[in-house]
Amino acid sequence: MAPTILPEFFVLLGTDLFLLLSLLTCLLESKFPKTLPYIFQVAAVIGFGHLMISKEFLAIFGEYMRFWYCFFYLLVALINIVAINVHLATSQKMWILAKAWAGTITFPSIMISVFFVSNYGYVSSAEFPLLLLQVGLVISAVMIGVSAALFLNPDLLPKLRRRKEVNQWK
Amino acid sequence: MEVKKILSSKSMKFLTLLLTSMLIASASAAVYYSLSMRSTITTATTSVWFEEGVDNATAGLSLSPAKTVATLTNLKAYANASYTYTDPVRVRNNGSVAYEIRLAPISLSGNDTEFVYVRFLLRNGTSESSPTLASLNYTCDGSNWTIPSATGWVSMPATVPDTEWAITVITKAKDNAASASVTIEIAVDVK
Repeated sequence: MAPTILPEFFVLLGTDLFLLLSLLTCLLESKFPKTLPYIFQVAAVIGFGHLMISKEFLAIFGEYMRFWYCFFYLLVALINIVAINVHLATSQKMWILAKAWAGTITFPSIMISVFFVSNYGYVSSAEFPLLLLQVGLVISAVMIGVSAALFLNPDLLPKLRRRKEVNQWK
Repeated sequence: MEVKKILSSKSMKFLTLLLTSMLIASASAAVYYSLSMRSTITTATTSVWFEEGVDNATAGLSLSPAKTVATLTNLKAYANASYTYTDPVRVRNNGSVAYEIRLAPISLSGNDTEFVYVRFLLRNGTSESSPTLASLNYTCDGSNWTIPSATGWVSMPATVPDTEWAITVITKAKDNAASASVTIEIAVDVK
């Protein structure tokens, strides 16, 4: 039988994401409030406390309840990643950094989370309302396809823009 | 002043955060690992156990408090004569579902070879006419014992009120057998 992941794995994942955010916001400290890295560290410590509580009350909390409070923590971590992405794109108007953040942090984090949540759902025979993994794979396939096309033919994007402008003038 | 400057520098802040991050990440991973290694075990009562049969006194049956161990201390083997203890001990299914059971040899101690055979039969019922479902046949050729292999699995239904099957023991000693004894331990496996 394949070893199953516990619901607490999502807390572990969320803790690591908060730690990642803490380090990245420290590196980009000129774009964020000075206290933000420390707030993320505190959030990671809360995740650790979360794991300790889960460990102590494992027999009392059912698996259903454990899954949902662990998943909620992971969701909060993901929301923070997206919020920073939006902050960079809108408040700071740093489009290149926002795009780089989306490609290197937001998208992989969401994909990894989707993968593990789907895997957990599959192994635990839980049914999710959406086919998360399939949708995620289709999105990633489309993104890889578009990225590969742009990488191999850098003139493609300006050409498309020009054609759009010509159509507008017509 | 200089120390304060160093402490407030970006690299120092980053280093501090990196160290605390490593600490939190490894501690969290350790807790998760201990969590995945943890299992909760509670005591439970079995659904299948031994019961006294009609011949329990003759065979010298004693049962453990939970009725999961049955000891027969008064079985006799007569010289060149087969002796049958039809219903010394029973296996009872007290559960609400059927269980698979079998007889399996555990050990044989005592090297006395004054016997011909000792047989354990699992009967579909408790009477003498009940058919045999499985049997363990320990035989002795005069110098060595042949230990049988475990029987096949037999489904024991959970009929109302409860199903009870007798374990019949048949013994036989050699002609002109001297005083001897042997201890045989068998298991009734349940799954």
